[in-house]
Formats: sequence, C-alpha cells, structure tokens
Amino acid sequence: MVPRLALVSLTLLVSRVALAQPAQPAPTPSPSPSPSPSPSPSADSEDLSDIENALAEDAAAAEKSRPAPPPGGLGAAVQSMNPDISFIADFAAAWFSEDENLQTGEHDPHENGFNFQQLELALGKAVDPYFRLDGNIVFHPEGVEIEELYATTLSLPYNLQARVGQFLTRFGRQNPTHPHQWDFVDQPLMLGKVFGGEGNFALGGELSYLTPLPWYVELIGSVTDARGEGTNRSFFGDAADARVDSPLDFQDTVAAKQFFELSHDWSLLWGLSWATGPNPDGRTHLFGTDVYLKYRPITTGSYTIVALQAEAIYRRRGLADGHLDDVTGYAQLFWRFAQRWAAAARYEYGSPAENQDGVRVDPLDPDWTRNRHRAAADLTFWPSEFSRLRAQLSVDAPRWLPDPIVAGFLALEVSIGVHGAHKF
Amino acid sequence: MRYPILSAAFLLVLGGSAHAAVNVVATLPDLAAIAKEVGGNKVAVTSLSLPTQDPHFVDAKPSLVLKLNKADLLIAGGLELELGWLPVLQTSARNERILSSGRGFLDCSRFVHVLEVPTGPVDRSMGDIHPGGNPHYLYDPRAAAECAKGIADKLAEIDPGNAKAYQAGVRSFVDRLATARAGWEKRLASARGKPVITYHRSWNYLLDWLGLVEIANLEPKPGIPPSPRHVAEVLRLGQAKGAKVILQESFYPDKTGRLVAKKLGGTVVTLPGGADVASGEGYIEHMDHLVDALEQALR
Repeated sequence: MVPRLALVSLTLLVSRVALAQPAQPAPTPSPSPSPSPSPSPSADSEDLSDIENALAEDAAAAEKSRPAPPPGGLGAAVQSMNPDISFIADFAAAWFSEDENLQTGEHDPHENGFNFQQLELALGKAVDPYFRLDGNIVFHPEGVEIEELYATTLSLPYNLQARVGQFLTRFGRQNPTHPHQWDFVDQPLMLGKVFGGEGNFALGGELSYLTPLPWYVELIGSVTDARGEGTNRSFFGDAADARVDSPLDFQDTVAAKQFFELSHDWSLLWGLSWATGPNPDGRTHLFGTDVYLKYRPITTGSYTIVALQAEAIYRRRGLADGHLDDVTGYAQLFWRFAQRWAAAARYEYGSPAENQDGVRVDPLDPDWTRNRHRAAADLTFWPSEFSRLRAQLSVDAPRWLPDPIVAGFLALEVSIGVHGAHKF
Repeated sequence: MRYPILSAAFLLVLGGSAHAAVNVVATLPDLAAIAKEVGGNKVAVTSLSLPTQDPHFVDAKPSLVLKLNKADLLIAGGLELELGWLPVLQTSARNERILSSGRGFLDCSRFVHVLEVPTGPVDRSMGDIHPGGNPHYLYDPRAAAECAKGIADKLAEIDPGNAKAYQAGVRSFVDRLATARAGWEKRLASARGKPVITYHRSWNYLLDWLGLVEIANLEPKPGIPPSPRHVAEVLRLGQAKGAKVILQESFYPDKTGRLVAKKLGGTVVTLPGGADVASGEGYIEHMDHLVDALEQALR
C-alpha cells in the first residue's frame, strides 16, 4: 500500500514538475514586430522590437545559467526524503527425520512442511545532520517484534560513533546480522545456545572508536539491558525478579575488530569479544573470537568468492554455589563458483556445560549432557541480487540422542524496496 | 628504537595530519583519474574501486572505511551506481565532511546530461535499473569534461588557496581532452550508424557520443545474466542488422560474447571499466586505448 501511494504521489509530482519545467525551450519572441496584438499607442514598433530582443536575450541567458536538473527530476529528490524501506521475506519447505528437532533459531524452519520464517521490514534514513535512524521490524506467525531500532551518530569528534536504542550487540561476526545476510537457512547453534533464538539484542547504548592506526582497528563498547528475550540464555533474560539496582545489572560488551587487506583479492577480518552481565544466580562472562577470510579476485574480474568464517564462544555462568562452563563454535566455507551459484558447508560444535566438579547439570539444557556436532551443506541460486533459492541438508548429532537428526530445507528469500548496504 | 611499531604508527598519525595535499577519494577509477588531472600535485587521490571491478558490487571493506575517514573530498558517480556499498562506508567512516550532506561530497552526475531517465513508473521486474537514469556516463569524454569542471569548482571551494591551480589544471585537461576528442571522433567517423551489441547497458553514453547504434544487450534485463533463448534472439537480431562488434567490460564473463561474435563473424571488445590509476594511467590515455580497440573492431 505504502509503495503504491508513494508511486502515485511520485507520478503526480513528476507530471507537475514536467508542467512546471519548460522541457522544450520557451518560444522565443520573434524579433520582427508582430501584427497582433496591436502595439499600444505609447510604444512604437522600434521600442517593441528592442523590448522583444532584450527579452529574448534574457531568456537565452536564463536558459544558459539554469543549473542541470537533478537526476530523476524533482520526483527523485522528494522521494529521497522518505526512509529507505525494504521488505525481505523468507519461506522454507522443511523435512526432519525425527519428530523432535533441536533447531535453536527463532526463525529457523521448525516443522515438516511449509514454514514462514519471517518477514523483515528494514528502514533507515538520516534524521538530521547529527543522527540516522535504522530499524528492523520482524513479522512472523507468532507476532511482530522490533528486533532493532537505533539512532547512530554522524558527527561525533575524535573518530567516535555512538548508537542508542535497541540493537544486536556487536559480539562476534554473525550476531549483529540478519537472516538475509547469512549463508545458511538456519542460525548457528552457537547463537541459539549462548544468546537465544534471535541472538543477543537489547536496549542500550554503544560507543565505538576507529583508532588512528595504519590498519583498521575498531574498538566497541556497549551497555545494554540484561533483561529480555535477547539475553535469556546467559543473562537475566525473562527472570521475573530481574531489576536494575546498580550499573552491574547491565550487560557490558567489549569488542575489537581488526581488518587486514592482505591484497586486493584477499581480506582478513579478526574480532575479539567479551561480554559480562548478571544472570539470575550470579554473573556470566562470555569470551569470543571470530575470523573471516575472504578471497575475491577483483583484479581479474571474476565472480569467484571463497570465504572462510569461524567463531567460537567460551561461556562461564556464575551460580550461587560455583559456575558452569561450556564452549560452542562453528566454521563454514562459502564458495561462489558462478555468477548465480554458490555452495557452502558448515560444521558446528557445542560442548555440554560442566560445573566446577565436572558434573554436567545445565538447568537451561538439561538434556545436553554430551557433545553435539552438526554439519550442513547448502547450494544457493540467485535469480537476481534480490532473490535467492537455497537447498540445505544437515545432520545434527546430539550424542545424548540415539539417532542423528537429518534435516532438509528448500528456502526462498525475496526482497523488495531499497535496502541499505551491509558492513563487510 | 625499542618500540619500532608504535613509533612508526605514531609517525604515520602525525604525518597524516601534517600532509598538505587535499585528500581526495573517488568511488570510480575514472573519477580518480580526472581528479588527479585537475588537482595535480595539490591533491592525493585514491579510488575505492578498481577498473577490473564491477562498480555495482564493491565489497564495503573496512580498509575503504579508513580511506574515507581521512578524506577531505569524496567524489561519487551517483545515480545509485554505488548504492550497494557506499552509504555504509560513509556512515562507518566517522567523517562528517564526506557524508552526502557534507561539504566534501560531490556527486558528479549532477554535471552531466543523464541518459535513460525513466519517464514512467519503474520496478525491478525490469531488472536492476537505476531510477535516476543510466550511471555509466564516464565513457563519454564530453561528460568527463563537465565532471572535471565540477571537480575543479569543488576543490577550489574546499581549498581556496589553490583555486588558481585547480582552474589552470581543469583548463589544461579540458583543452587536451577536446583535442583528443576531435581526433577520436575523426578516427571513428566512418563507424557512425554501425550496429553494436553490448553486454550491459554500460556503453550508451559512448554510443551516443560516437553515433553507434546499440541493437541489443546480452543481458535480457539489466543485472540478469544471459539466457539461451535471449542469446538466440540477440544472435538473430545481430545477423539481421549486420552487427559485428560485441562490447563489454572485462568484469563480465565473455564466453557468451565470444560465442555470439564467432557466429556473427565479428569480435568481442573487452575493456576495463576505467583508467588504471594505480599504475599512472590517465583518463585520456584510457580513452585512447578504448578508441584504439573500437577502431580496430569496427574497421
């Protein structure tokens, strides 16, 4: 509805502009005296000729000095005052070998048959010279939620930038991203296990600093609410008695991102992350690292992309009488072998949580008493850059279950509207 | 020196601030080449993309963020050519000057007569079209001259102390370009009206300038790779109109082009998407190579 309205307004505006702007040069007054209308008795034909000549010269000068029309006409300029809006829809047909599957992502396909994963509404625009506003509102069968809505500063001094609002924390590589940026149909186990079905997000503030070093080093610190859906696997989460009584009741996240341009074709991004905050019984610490190595031969004009991405998180949850430790991670390899085709493979690992005595008792995952391994492979076809079809097969082997869970997905993702660019 | 890395970093930081030249970053190699011609030794110019790289799909690498962080002037092609990568770089750069609203941002499309501005409603069923018009105007030297004038004015605005040098630089460049253009037009005069096939709608400004006639694109719609049925149609058209030349940038796959050229008894002209500024190639030299290749193919 909104795009149609915008289109109608745009068409009306363009037609109005077309009427207002002389697309054809204005008719030049003829230098010769016109027989009609009759000149007034006070102006003889010589005066009239002079006036017409002067008018013609003025018109020509005005035409010459007229600035080039803005590209797309005024319609485009008016349109650009609206936020960039896009809708991205994800659908999947799924099959699981077992009645109970252990998918951890909120928007993963969850049941045999057709799955509506999500509809993401992304919007963003500069607010004024000082801020821009970005939002991601997610619609899914259970309802609507504001996953992200934050203001970013545009003009802080000293290479600083701040974000305020609700956002995915920049812990690791995949957490701050949305499903349409993922190479797989489902979320890594790691994010579901450590943060929850939609990753780690909450209300709060973030300050980041681009250091003046010769290579890219960005330091990020954020303070966010330790309560809510985006924190319920490691921090307060939805605990009924959780409240903020002191600064220690927030989640603090610190990250460092370094980028090394090994050559025009090879890039390496390395991140280190740490987060700490309260859980219902004590304090949680998360230590993470992520690596992204990308080969894209831009010096030879090829469509090939080979990218290795790996992340791991070590988590220590403080309890009333000790602590629980676990490790999860994944490594994936993505290979675009043709303009429209890519293949990818992923391996994931999740250890059981152990307490200080080596006992595996995790109140969040009481069954997770042994290692869990999952492997997946997928094939992507892009009809255009605005749609993609994927086929994914995975084998999930939680060692506490007698049989592995085999899952097959066929997924379609389509996007419309203007969607902002993504970070590397 | 006990801490060589730290000292080197410190010197680099200091060196950066003490450098007098205006730090110009251009999104496209041709814009960088033109800015270098205009600014001479008063500017330090970098291009965010390579001539071998499709300018629609540039990775927003953090190393490009660093370049923009230190830029005094960002020159863009505009018309949404860089929409998929430039905005995130601008926001991440923490440099108010080069934001689209900043004094150090210049969209060169405002200086050129834009072709193919849609006259009716558009949507992506028509392919990846640019609502503001065709953004590939730098293949037309007349547009390049207009951009050079715009760049000179902008440089004079942000560095008024060297305004005379920029005006002298642009005059010299525009004069040399005009002379070269007259030569190119003479060499290709006999090709006027000849039919050509292009891969993407990148060459329309060049065709407009030289009076060549584009009869078909290998892409069925902008951004959509060639399909067998479409290529068969292009081949039929090419045979009917007597087209002998397929024109494409080096970053597009050339297998289809070569096949069509073979069947038409013609040639594929594969060209980089701009001047190789890193190795010192200027805009005029780049266009010279382009005209050489065209002249040979259209002979």
